[in-house]
Amino acid sequence: MKLHGRRPEETTLTVWQVVELARHPDRPYSLDYIKRMAPDFVEMHGDRISGDDPALIGGVGLWHGRATMFLGHQKGRSLKERVARNWGMMHPEGYRKAIRLAQHAAKFNFPIVSLIDTPGAYPGAGAEERGIASAIAKAIMEWFRIPVPIVAAVIGEGGSGGALGMGVADRVIMLENSIYSVASPEAAASIVWRDNTRKVEAAEQLQLTSRDLLAMGVVEEVVTEPEGSARVDYEATAAALDEALYRHLRPLLAQPTEELLQHRYERFRYIDSLIRAEPHFGPKI
Amino acid sequence: MVAAKKPGDVRISGGKLPPIALPTNCPGCGVGLDHEELRRHTYVCTLCGHHFRMGADAWIALIADRGTWKERYGDVRSHDLLNWKVPKPYQETLEQLRDEGLNEAVRTGTCSLGGREIWLATFDFRFVGGTLSIVAGERLARGMEQAAASGLPYLLVAASGGARMQEGVLALMQMAKVNAAVGRLDVAGVPFFSVLTDPTFGGTAASLALLGDINIAEPGAAIGFTGPRVIKQATYADLPPGFQSADFQLGRGQVDMVVARPELRRLLAHLLEIYP
Repeated sequence: MKLHGRRPEETTLTVWQVVELARHPDRPYSLDYIKRMAPDFVEMHGDRISGDDPALIGGVGLWHGRATMFLGHQKGRSLKERVARNWGMMHPEGYRKAIRLAQHAAKFNFPIVSLIDTPGAYPGAGAEERGIASAIAKAIMEWFRIPVPIVAAVIGEGGSGGALGMGVADRVIMLENSIYSVASPEAAASIVWRDNTRKVEAAEQLQLTSRDLLAMGVVEEVVTEPEGSARVDYEATAAALDEALYRHLRPLLAQPTEELLQHRYERFRYIDSLIRAEPHFGPKI
Repeated sequence: MVAAKKPGDVRISGGKLPPIALPTNCPGCGVGLDHEELRRHTYVCTLCGHHFRMGADAWIALIADRGTWKERYGDVRSHDLLNWKVPKPYQETLEQLRDEGLNEAVRTGTCSLGGREIWLATFDFRFVGGTLSIVAGERLARGMEQAAASGLPYLLVAASGGARMQEGVLALMQMAKVNAAVGRLDVAGVPFFSVLTDPTFGGTAASLALLGDINIAEPGAAIGFTGPRVIKQATYADLPPGFQSADFQLGRGQVDMVVARPELRRLLAHLLEIYP
């Protein structure tokens, strides 16, 4: 199976227009969805080590009659809130908070919903000083041990390791006009061209749209957005996301834990299986 | 400690290191370099201790007891799957590097170290900046799964700029793939030693490289998530000298020790005696 040149054929938008929609300041953020999915949502704070990361919200609520742990990157709406939430870019405390809440969910056998919407982990000196690399590494490893079902959705930007740190799940779906990428187009341009103004060309090559990811087998489903994108109709988008997430969660609830964790392992172990099927990829073991 | 065969022989019984590309003068102290002398001294400046970057072939020669290296999965090869064309076609990059005799950013296999059989994986910074690719991830994951199943200790030598842009989100997914495999080593109780060399950044630092049971950094190695150029671009911060250095990471609790390369082999042999 060839993956060459797959593009969002069913849309007239350019790749860069999709990137702009994914980042649109009026696009619904995690809390806009969570408050519609679980109106009784109770937010919790802190990593129980050194701090709380406002770029990641977490808490519990009843969803389809079931206590559920919700986690999500949260970008701010006003400038003041954007600063406070650091534009949804997590520090090490955020990843530790996520794992604390995931373990909390495991204790009470709550399934976990993770909503991904971040340009990436925070690229600043403070994050480095407090060990952002190992915080993400540890989180990614820990997600594979959380013995409750996890469903994740990319709702806007899925940027790099900062997104993957919240993206190890049994099912991962994407909203139509969201993106998920090894690096932001700007960062990729800066790495490959040493010039971050080449972002449009970088975006076109990265294959970061929802349809690209579906074609590669990295996500299970693309959730269609209303005409004019998610920002024109929060209610309809939230309803569609809710329906898709719950449809993916339901079969997982019945799965024995050992099987659940084994499947989660295999989901990522063989996530590149379309490529691995290429003959020159070498012998299977 | 395992005794060296003779005073000054810190290699125990590793193979002779291959020649590597070296500058005329040491970037650490400016002294003119005697390349043969450097080679005998594991490519560490005898005057100032500057550690020169080594490729996978040199690392294998340094770590493996002479004649014990058995390369695995070397026939698993990368190719351009995203049709990446500019500024340089990815397929061309791959072919050029292969023509230079390099085989991907990670090479793995088994060998013995001080007589003890281990799995070894070593990054090669010369291959697209040692970037984590699908093939790199596959070689790492297969090796770790084999180590977990057989109980052989797993040794990693990291040198990487992060995930490989030209393989897009599938390169990113390798972080999850290899970390899941690290979890298998944990369950199996298999020791995992990670040697962090210059430079170790991005998706490699944020996946397996910092997950060692023991993290060993080389003196002067730069280790971090975001590189200093991007930090300055994004935050306009002035970074202090030594930011993200091995000693910086030691001080911040990210690595267990900073060990000079001429001492490394002896230390690893010693650790392999302590860990079952």
